[in-house]
Amino acid sequence: MVSRTDAVTRILFEAFSAAEVRLFYLLGYAAIAIFGYGVYVQIRKYRRGAALKLEGGLWARFGAMLSSVLSHRTIERRDRSAGGAHRLIFYGFVLLFAGTATITLEYDILEPLFGIRFWHGQFYLVFSLVLDIAGVALIAGLAFMMYRRGWMRLPKLDYARPDRVPGDPDFDRPQYRREDWAFLWILLIIACTGYVLEAARLVWLQDRADIWDTRWWSPVGALLAEGMRTAGLGERGAGLLRHGLWWFHGLIALLLIALIPFTKVKHIFTAAASLMVRDPLAAQRLPRIPDSQEQVGAARITDFNWKQLLNLDACTKCGRCHEACPARAVGAPLSPRDVILSLREFAKSTLESGVLPDAAELDIHGKAPGQVAMETLWSCRTCMACVEICPVAVEHVPIIVQMRRKLVEEGAMDPLLTKTLQTIHKTGNSFGESKRKRGAWSKALPFPVKDARKEPVDVLWFVGDYASFDPRNQKVSQVFASLLQEAGVNFGILYDGESNAGNDVRRVGEEGLYEVLATANVNALAGASFKSVVTTDPHSYNTIRNEYPDFGGKYEIEHYTTLAKRLFTEGRLQVTNPLKYRVTFHDPCHLGRFNKGYDAPRELLALLGCELVEMGRCKANSFCCGAGGGRIWVPDPVGAEKPAQNRMKEAAAIPGLEVYVVSCPKDLTMFEDALKTTGNEGKFVVKELIELIREAIPARRAEEVPA
Amino acid sequence: MSGILVIGEQRRGELRPVSLELLSAGISLRRAGEEVAVAILSDSPDRFVKPLSLSGVDEIVTVKVGAAEFDPDIFESAVGALITKRNPDVVLVAHSVDSFGYAAALATRLGLGFATDVFSVERVDGELVATRGGYGQKVYVEVDFPGRNTVMLAIRGNVFKPPEQAASPRITIFDTPPVQSRATGREFIEMSAGDDVDMTAAEFILTIGRGIGEEAKVAQFRELADAVGATLGCSRPIADAGWLPKSRQVGQSGKTASTCQLYIAMGVSGAIQHLAGMKHVSTIVAVNSDAEASIFSVAKYGIVGDIFEIAEELRKHF
Amino acid sequence: MKILVAVKQVAALDEDFAIRDDGRDVDSDFFIRDLNEWDDFSLEEAVKIRESSAEPVEVVVVSVGPDEADESLRKCLAKGADRAIRVWDTCIEYSDSIAIARVLAAVAKREAPNMLFAGVQSSDQSFASTGIAAAALLGWPHAAVVSNLTCTPGANLAVFRRELEGGLLHEVEIQCPAVLTIQLGINTPRYASLRSIKQAAAKPIEVLSLSDLALGAADVGEAGSSSRVRRMYVPDKARAQLIEGDAAQQAARLAQIIHAFKGAAS
Repeated sequence: MVSRTDAVTRILFEAFSAAEVRLFYLLGYAAIAIFGYGVYVQIRKYRRGAALKLEGGLWARFGAMLSSVLSHRTIERRDRSAGGAHRLIFYGFVLLFAGTATITLEYDILEPLFGIRFWHGQFYLVFSLVLDIAGVALIAGLAFMMYRRGWMRLPKLDYARPDRVPGDPDFDRPQYRREDWAFLWILLIIACTGYVLEAARLVWLQDRADIWDTRWWSPVGALLAEGMRTAGLGERGAGLLRHGLWWFHGLIALLLIALIPFTKVKHIFTAAASLMVRDPLAAQRLPRIPDSQEQVGAARITDFNWKQLLNLDACTKCGRCHEACPARAVGAPLSPRDVILSLREFAKSTLESGVLPDAAELDIHGKAPGQVAMETLWSCRTCMACVEICPVAVEHVPIIVQMRRKLVEEGAMDPLLTKTLQTIHKTGNSFGESKRKRGAWSKALPFPVKDARKEPVDVLWFVGDYASFDPRNQKVSQVFASLLQEAGVNFGILYDGESNAGNDVRRVGEEGLYEVLATANVNALAGASFKSVVTTDPHSYNTIRNEYPDFGGKYEIEHYTTLAKRLFTEGRLQVTNPLKYRVTFHDPCHLGRFNKGYDAPRELLALLGCELVEMGRCKANSFCCGAGGGRIWVPDPVGAEKPAQNRMKEAAAIPGLEVYVVSCPKDLTMFEDALKTTGNEGKFVVKELIELIREAIPARRAEEVPA
Repeated sequence: MSGILVIGEQRRGELRPVSLELLSAGISLRRAGEEVAVAILSDSPDRFVKPLSLSGVDEIVTVKVGAAEFDPDIFESAVGALITKRNPDVVLVAHSVDSFGYAAALATRLGLGFATDVFSVERVDGELVATRGGYGQKVYVEVDFPGRNTVMLAIRGNVFKPPEQAASPRITIFDTPPVQSRATGREFIEMSAGDDVDMTAAEFILTIGRGIGEEAKVAQFRELADAVGATLGCSRPIADAGWLPKSRQVGQSGKTASTCQLYIAMGVSGAIQHLAGMKHVSTIVAVNSDAEASIFSVAKYGIVGDIFEIAEELRKHF
Repeated sequence: MKILVAVKQVAALDEDFAIRDDGRDVDSDFFIRDLNEWDDFSLEEAVKIRESSAEPVEVVVVSVGPDEADESLRKCLAKGADRAIRVWDTCIEYSDSIAIARVLAAVAKREAPNMLFAGVQSSDQSFASTGIAAAALLGWPHAAVVSNLTCTPGANLAVFRRELEGGLLHEVEIQCPAVLTIQLGINTPRYASLRSIKQAAAKPIEVLSLSDLALGAADVGEAGSSSRVRRMYVPDKARAQLIEGDAAQQAARLAQIIHAFKGAAS
């Protein structure tokens, strides 16, 4: 018994002629050579991109990648079934591949060189069982994916591009669909022929007790073998079948290996590598342009760095970004997926050739296949929904902004945007108001707001453009100032020392102006005495928190929601008039997705006594109001739905909704407008969270209520 | 010789209305014993004698020149000859596109005292003092002309009321030697209409300006104008942006709201060029969020507020 | 071909501005300086001619103004001007348009361009006469308020439309070299990114004094001007009768005015 079980091992080249074995090795080496060449071409492509030095240790990056891959955390998000199926395919494939690979390890390396064998006996049997189960998992996963592609008709798997029209050569790219199906079918055929092969082998060798008696360690193969025997297949027939199938299975597997670098199969490497080089602040902290660099922005494909070129290849067309994009949702000519795929096609056609084409052929701006149109780039709200949801760490926003930098350099933008940028340069604010009027809103208060440049304060309030100049938001600013005053916070503002924070200017792509603004603010802050910074504007919050450090400005900074919550926790603010409103909360992109500030506003709403009903798209999946990335300065096309209107409809579907709560000045502007234009006025109201706090804490003295 | 010389302006066979306003300005400056003469330059100047024969005018000088329409070289030469010959105290021209083309050149060549865009002129202690605007009309500037025997002033239109009474001034013919012009006028072109609206004939105009911010908002005001029965007009930035056809632009380079009686300006700041086309309207209502906007200085009624909100509320009444 | 473009750094007034103690100008603390809007268009027109021309075209900007004007000149360089010249001397202060024209004409004589462009007017003083005055000093053909310009390098004629009052255009053909004053809307001026302005700082700005141009103090300032500022003041402007109340009340009153007009008209 023992000896028999011990003898059992993987049947490899049994009954093959020496010539056949040599042929197989030849083909195997050829496949590996093709694979190797493909890898070389890919790496040469990446190396044709700009240089980039990564921060952080390699091992930490590797660990993070491994954890993402093994847990499938990123793949599972917002699509559990696809995530589950992918997990089955992934683990099935990994195990089967590991099985095959270790056989090669033993047969071709360890045994001939060192005489080490481990593929026999109990280990072999257990492994057979594991691989049989892995095969089932793989097939189940593949079957679901086929069902999903063939029958579920998911919009995110529709390759029709919003930035092209039917008839354009690259409109819906049927070659992608063919490739998807080919990939699924190849894997399925490899898995299925594996089982049939296993069964045929069992039938063929049914006389060998070590094999036949242990057949149930390969349950699927054994079951098929029983079937074959019942169907009347004899040993000889099975031997022939096994021989033929062996070659078929083997050749397809070798083909797959050879094709990896040239097809979507390469995502098993590129996606993992992309996850490894992920920048957790990709959208929050955009790259600086070195002073020495002549050229600004991405004009040619080679202006992207190797990591961005790798990002392009990592994309698996899963469509999550396509689904999450607010511009795409309202019919704008932008899908983050298609920006990436377009550039990938462009990189493939230009950077994979032996000789790098002329500079003129590397221009990525335009309407030809592979190029990206300016309308597409200007449609982006830099809301980070795409970056946040991408399972393979593609960083779309910096790619788009770097391309915009080039457009800004050429002046290829909406005339109103041009005007706004000129206005900001001239006056330091987007309203074209006098600098002297920045603090004017505070004059309506019954107490003076300290000038932090003149006297020390604990909390420096960076007010921002909208809260300073927009009449509606000025009222909110006055309320917030009163609340701080009542809570006994020693705070002040910079008055005319403050400039536009630059967050949106940077995301427009006007890097030079951003540098001017950031430097001005860092200098102004350096001239003030304070312990920490608070902002009411999430956009200012993001850039001061994440980007000013690159300009020498490192501060302790928080959004007002965390400060207000602390004031409640410390008892400095107390709810005296609990609100019974049924509310929903809109996560501002720059507070939520950008800086993970999901909890404080919700805790505040609970403290105020509000009943919070979440919208479907909330927290990380919050839907941009449409104002980001400088789009607040560019009118949306006439007649088309605006993101804010799309969002209002979502909110309006909440039964009994009373208040749509925002915590961003731009949101207040966008949504109050959308409330009217979607005909929801009178049904519910849009309010700043600050206003709700005021309502829950009626001012102690009437004169403290600003006019 | 002394006196006041007014240079009338004509275009395509018509006397331009500003010519008559210049007469009033001239008459107001006349001192005892001085005369007001008006010169008209044309290839057939006699046709303008009648419309210029107004009370207060002492003399009409017809200057036959070799060009039917304005020509910088010919006009500069002829007016230069007139001034040299007559040596007037004051020469009045319109602050107009034609004068832009030669007045400064002439003033420079002859060493005249010179000021443009003058809307008020008087004599202080015998010295001529002209008032013009500065810094986008936020300040007024008084200028004088020390040591100049002849002063040429370009007078802003729509400021002086033309004399109404007819009279029979003396008519003089002034001969001027022919000049070869270095510029040739070809043809006149009406600015691309875009639609067939006639702003000059509208009695009730609702105008939108830069304050509407974006093209998407035009529709709201178009609808409002229809509802209240007004003709929709605009200021220059709106037409330059292509949001409304040029034919709807009110102002100096656009149309004049000639027959308008009620003019509602929404989001129009009131640049001087716009005011030129509408400030004469008897009832002007200005709606603007900026209480300091200069449109309020010509309006009868003013509303300081959000134009979109007002538009929305107003719509409910019709 | 060489095109000389005269530009001005203009001043807009900040909130709550104050008149200087001598009462003859606004306190410069309240100036918000920028390139004159009209000059932005004339520079763009020159750069466009260069860009569409097969033969080399040099675009030179010139400004008469103090150090601060360099900022506007750098903007012009960023927008595509090849060279910049600034002329200043303290005695140029208090110059009117004709005195400035004298300086510009002297620069034009030195540079010998094929065309001189200027804006129709400046947004601060609105003289609308500097360019044409310079033409007189140069003895060049000239035209004001130009739109739709066709100017081919090497050709001795240029064709354009004068933008007249009342939405009328007048097509004119002129001999070159000529002085043209350019109207708004003739083109779409390009954006000068801050980065390009910063890079333009590397291009030199040639600074000339009066003596470099063979001019003297008598040619400029009050002595060389055709007018003198006596006084500058903030006018008591007529004010509209304000309709008070909230938006609904204001709109109701406006509706009344409209109804009254329509009642009277019918």
